[in-house]
Amino acid sequence: MSATYDKLVDLLVDRFAVDRAEIRPDVTFEELEMDSLFLVELLLVMRSEFDVQISEDAASPTDTIEHAVGLIDDQAPATTS
Amino acid sequence: MSPAPVVAITGLGLVTAAGIGTDSTWQGVCRGESTGARTSSLDGLPVDISCTVPDLEPARHIGRRSALTQDRFVQLGVVAAREAVADSGLDPHAWDGSRVGVVIGCGVGGVSTWESQHRRLVETGPESVSALMVPMLVPNMVAGNLAMDLRATGPNLVTATACASGATAIGTAAQLLREDACDVVVTGGAEAAVNPTLVTGFTQMGALSRRTDEPAAASRPFDRDRDGFVIGEGSGVLVLEREADARARHAPVRARLAGYGASADAHHLTAPDPEGGAVLGAMRTAMAQADVTPRDVTHVNAHGTSTPLNDAVEARVLSRLLGDHAAVTSAKGVLGHSLGAAGAIEAALTVLAIERSTIPPTANLRAQDPALELDVVAGEPRTEKTEVAMSNSFGFGGQNAVLIITAA
Repeated sequence: MSATYDKLVDLLVDRFAVDRAEIRPDVTFEELEMDSLFLVELLLVMRSEFDVQISEDAASPTDTIEHAVGLIDDQAPATTS
Repeated sequence: MSPAPVVAITGLGLVTAAGIGTDSTWQGVCRGESTGARTSSLDGLPVDISCTVPDLEPARHIGRRSALTQDRFVQLGVVAAREAVADSGLDPHAWDGSRVGVVIGCGVGGVSTWESQHRRLVETGPESVSALMVPMLVPNMVAGNLAMDLRATGPNLVTATACASGATAIGTAAQLLREDACDVVVTGGAEAAVNPTLVTGFTQMGALSRRTDEPAAASRPFDRDRDGFVIGEGSGVLVLEREADARARHAPVRARLAGYGASADAHHLTAPDPEGGAVLGAMRTAMAQADVTPRDVTHVNAHGTSTPLNDAVEARVLSRLLGDHAAVTSAKGVLGHSLGAAGAIEAALTVLAIERSTIPPTANLRAQDPALELDVVAGEPRTEKTEVAMSNSFGFGGQNAVLIITAA
């Protein structure tokens, strides 16, 4: 996957205590036991870590990791590697 | 009217500066050596000593995501509560959770969460403040987390009476059992306020010992040279049931919670009423509920903070009410003052003193204040059978809570 995906995986592991082995692009946040409050926190972390503007309701627990990567890539400057 | 049901204590859990678990705390308190030490999180402050819980690993002791969602006061409470429930022999997977209440005392709440998030707000702006800040810092969340952890869906609340919070919680829990609002109550106190802002606040009030060059000698309840308290942290949790219920399930009854008295000084923001009239009133109420006389009370687990005024007032009231026949001890010499947790930790230690016929010593009592006419246990634990004991807790704001605990 992309650099964005790799960084998001690191954030999920380091900041949200998600088991790295459980993360795949098509896994949902719900399946990683990330509830709506965790999602709000994750979106806040994504905003600051990727320097993007994402609305508070841009993702829900039933969305996949791939969906969150898309949110970032849609917003991020092209120079982000 | 039928007589009020007798309340039994069937489980204990302790997390203190003497260690994680009831046994390590009991052994530490009986050793009589203070846990006061220099504390790196307080570096550079005028008072940089405290009594902190060693080696708590949230991921191991509580769960993978504990550090993300729980302030330390909640973590300490969860560990103590799980121990207490396991000790009682009750099974949260099997019990009727709707009949299980949770009442926990907490004086301050998640002050370290507040402090770190406030720093983010000021230094990097509102965008960097965590969405989990509020559920981590509000004091009621210790009881809320325990409800989830233990599947306890009965009455659920936190009591805040400053340094009396833990004892107030236990007294309130017993009332819930007496009025049949629950069958089991998980009750106690939890506090983790060893934090630069809060310690500075206590320092500015002149409440803390300034003996920072000798941290292990700083907390010295009832000693002539006491000069303030040493802040601590921890949690104590008890499982209470009506004795008839406990006997029916063949649970070992460790002791009885026989009486509770509460009162307010209505005197001063922080200083105790020097006459101690309201303290005396709370003691009398607790003894009346327990149906015991002053002669019956042979052991007192004192509030004994090591501040000049608290110890003087408490000693005056005790000698007036009980005379000098009761063996008095203060655990704060060893454990420091864990604020809202202290009353619950000390209630648990009182149960252990009754069960084991052993009264732990008061650390650092080298020369008892000659103005205090009390028999304070010092040096070594004293082997002595106790049938009726009193555990005292007094909070800033003049809030007093007194428990009478009796042998089963």
